[in-house]
Formats: sequence, structure tokens, C-alpha cells
Amino acid sequence: MGQVGYAGGMKVIRVHNISKSFGKLCAVNDLSFEVEEGTCFGLLGPNGAGKTTMMKMVYGRSSRDNHDGGVIDVLGYDPARDELAIKYLSGVVPQENNLDDELNVIQNLMIYSKFYGLPGKVARERIEVLLGFLELSEKIESPIKELSGGMQRRLVIARALLNNPKLLILDEPTTGLDPQVRHLIWDKLRQLRAQGTTILLTTHYMEEAFQICDTVLIMDKGRKILEDSPQRLLRENIEAYVLEVPMTNGMRGWGESDLPSVVRLDRTDATLRLYAQDIDQLKAVADRLSGGQYYLRQTTLEDVFLKATGRALNEKQ
Amino acid sequence: MKSSSPVAYPSLAQRLFSVWYRHVRVYTKNLISNGLPPFLEPLLFLLGVGLGLGKYITQSMEGLSYLEFLGTGLLVTAAMFTSAYECTFGTFIRLEFEKVYDGMLAAPITVNDLIVGEIIWAGTKGLFFTFAVLCVLTAFRIIHLPAGLLAPLVGFVTGVMFATLSLWVTSFVKTINHFNFYLTGIISPMFFFSGVVFPISNLPPSVRFIAEIVPLTHCVRLARAVCIGQYPPSLLASLGYAVVFIALTGWLAIRRLRRRLVR
Repeated sequence: MGQVGYAGGMKVIRVHNISKSFGKLCAVNDLSFEVEEGTCFGLLGPNGAGKTTMMKMVYGRSSRDNHDGGVIDVLGYDPARDELAIKYLSGVVPQENNLDDELNVIQNLMIYSKFYGLPGKVARERIEVLLGFLELSEKIESPIKELSGGMQRRLVIARALLNNPKLLILDEPTTGLDPQVRHLIWDKLRQLRAQGTTILLTTHYMEEAFQICDTVLIMDKGRKILEDSPQRLLRENIEAYVLEVPMTNGMRGWGESDLPSVVRLDRTDATLRLYAQDIDQLKAVADRLSGGQYYLRQTTLEDVFLKATGRALNEKQ
Repeated sequence: MKSSSPVAYPSLAQRLFSVWYRHVRVYTKNLISNGLPPFLEPLLFLLGVGLGLGKYITQSMEGLSYLEFLGTGLLVTAAMFTSAYECTFGTFIRLEFEKVYDGMLAAPITVNDLIVGEIIWAGTKGLFFTFAVLCVLTAFRIIHLPAGLLAPLVGFVTGVMFATLSLWVTSFVKTINHFNFYLTGIISPMFFFSGVVFPISNLPPSVRFIAEIVPLTHCVRLARAVCIGQYPPSLLASLGYAVVFIALTGWLAIRRLRRRLVR
């Protein structure tokens, strides 16, 4: 059972050939990945891609399809058999903040510390440290209803850290938060990782994946599309620059033949996107627009993502 | 990362306690609004029905005065109602709206721990509500202590019975309004036809067997027995009923809710 990883350090999570179906819908389709100790691993994908389902299978909240060869190993335990051990060693931040509104900050955390069997005194000390860490010390006696969305999110993260987890699992940690809070949370996650905590998160923010993940797995319709470090994903899957031009009448007629062969064309109803490795090629094209609107920029993970998963919406978006 | 070293996660008793403790803390947060009505309700009922209407009832019922008869029945109906509401609306709100269970199940708590903890909590509420009725009955000198001191225990058993039944019902419910069918169609009729307001021997023989089947009848018998201190052998049947009922509906509730919580 206990798995010591090969070159590059211990594997905290090993997922091999895992599938999960809800009736006819295949939410996760033969997915495999490994998360190394002390790294941050991101599951990236549109809504309905199967990110949350995969994450829930890791801590035993969702059961995987039974078939030969499927393996989930978390810290040496199988969530189908040893969910308590995994949950004791991990902290989970669910997608929705589910704090007890009737209670205040410290009461919420004290009640939760009971779930880990922490003695009262130990819990109290730990809570003070965590509230300090997440910059909530002044709110210790505040009712939950008086906390902003960002504070509630940080409190849920503090709650997940109560038992000093080896593995921190976060489902969309910063969805719906303002930039200040988002950056604060990213900083905290980086600090935790530096202290050796392994992090598994789901997100649909490319920026988030780029900022904090060591490895990103882009998934769509339950399948793995790409997996690599964010930098390599960018370097190897998309051109370095993109020229975005709003569709105006003059532009509609443009086709591949009007462009240098090194420029790739991506056309939607409203925008024309021209990708190239060489910025000068795009500048030359931009000059031909004779003063029309355009936006020339470096490509981001979002461009990789859209290229990999397509622009069409699925039924869950 | 060796699984050979056992992880010191909390024991079953600790886990059940922590679920129970969570409910106690949330409930006692609003002590006045949550804790006063259990005393006021039986008071109103005894004043309105017992003293008001009871004045006209001179016939004894199963050897008890009407106030004694009604009062001892109210001991367990209070437990029934609070448990049934807790494990329908309360559970459903925690499950679907507040997502409280999502948070709890992220901690080292299994679904079984969660549901059993919920059942023990509903039993505790039953115990407390029965205790409140007991206080009122004692104050009105309808029951004389120490008789009836065991009644809160019967309240606990009643709370547990209606918790398992209600959780099983909840496992089917998709929309919160559907609870009205259960509460108005099953729980309220039990109040009237389980020997609380009149003896079931007065029911027509053709429907009397229904009263024997429903759980509340047996809770009422247990409550009256401990209040008057008479334990006929037939009481064992009611006790056995309670045990089998809890085991069966509890098993059904856990099986079905489990499927809803771990998908």
C-alpha cells in the first residue's frame, strides 16, 4: 500500500485510470495524474469538466466507478476504504462557504476542531495562529453574517487548516472574490506550499493556475487534455503573441491567403485572433489595418485553454 | 507515506459526540427562542383543552382522570413533533440550502457518523421536550414526583424513533414542500388516533389495528407506564416494537441518505 514515489520526491496523490459515471453521463473519463509532495497541482477546466467530481473522489466524498485497474492512493490510503485517515490528514475547502451563520468566528472553528478531536486548549491556540495567518484576528468574535465574502472564504480556509494538514484540497478557492482578496489567498497558499503542504485545487481562472500551480491539468468533458507546468504549457502549446482585431466590415473578407504563413487565424463572430511566434509578423499585419482598433499582446494560459477545449459552450456553462 | 503507521483519527464515540455537539451549540445559541416554546406549548394545551374542555369530561380513561390521561400523552407527542420537524425541515435545510453537511463531511466524519449523530441529537431534543412537559405537569400537580422521572428517557426513545422514520422520508424528498404530506398526513393524525386524546379502545374495531401499527401508540404506552408506575407484561411488546422500529427505519434511512450524500 504505502507508495514511495520514484525520481523527484514522494507522491502524495496517485490517480490511475479513474472513471466516474452518473447514469449515462461520464463525469470523469479514465483520468490519471500524480501530485508530488510540497507542490501545488491545479485541475483546470470549464464548468462541468469533472474537476469537482475528481476532487471529491480524492477525499472519499464521491465513489469512483468500480473497474479493474483504477487506483486512487492518497498519502498511502485508498479513499474507498480509509476515508477517515485521509480526511484526518487533509484539509478541504468546499466550493461553497458552509459556515454556521448562527455562530461567530471562534465558535465555528471550535466546533470544527472537535471533529479532529483537538483538545480545547490546543484548538484555541491553533485558532489564534490561523486567524492571524489569514488576517482575521480582529474578527474572532464577529458573527458570520457580518463577514464579507472574502473574509468568509478565508475563514473556511482557516477551518481546513485546523489539523495542520499535509494535503490541502481547495475547490475554486477564489471564485467570486475581488482582486485584493484573491492575491492575499494566493500569497497564503504559496506560503503553505513553502512550508511543505501539498495543494490540490480546482479552478477555472487561468491566472490563478498560472500564479500558484506547479503543474496544471487541463480537463474537458471528464478527460485529460493537457498536463504540464504552466510555463511549458504556454511555450509548447501556443504561439507567443496574439493580435486581436474586432470584426469590422473591412476585416470580414480576410482569410488565410492574406496572411503570412507563420500566422495562425482563429475567427469568431466578433473577433479575429491572429497568433504568431514572432511579434514583428503581427506588427506588420497590424500596420495593414490602417488605424483600425486592435490589441497586440502576449498569449496567456487562457489562450491555451480555449485552444484546447474549444470556444463552444457545453450544456453546464 | 506509509499506511502501516496508523492515523490517530478520533474514535467512533468522539465522532458521534462531535456531530451531536455541533447541533447542541447551534441550538443553544438562541436559547430563549428555542428553549421557551417547549414549556409554553404544553402549558397552553393543558389550559385550553385540559382544563377548559376537560371540565366536561368526568369519565375516567384507562383508569386515569382526563388531565392525567392527556398530560401523559403530551409527554411523548412533544418529543414526536420536535424530532419529526428536526429530521425533515432541519435535515433538509442542512443538506440542500446551508450545505452544512458538505463542511462536516470534509472533516474526519463518515456519512454514517453524520446520520447517527443526527439521530442521537433528535433523541436529545425529544428528551428535552418531554422534560419540559414533565415540568409543566408537575407544576400543575398532574404528575407527582418521583413518578415520571423516567419519562424523559421515553422522550429520548420517541425522538429516536421519529428521527429514523423522518430521515428515511427525507431521503426521498426533492422539494421542501413535500414534507407537508408527511407532517399533515402521517404525523398529525398520529397525534389524534394513538391514544393521546382518547383511548384507542374507543376506535371502531375495523381501524383499531392501524393504531396498533403506528409508532406513537407504543410511545404513549411506555410514557403512561413510567408515570403511573405500572408495568404490565404487555409493555414488553411496546418496548420490542420500539427496538425493531428504530433498527429497521434507521437502516433504511442510512442506506438511502448515504446514496444521496456520497454520489
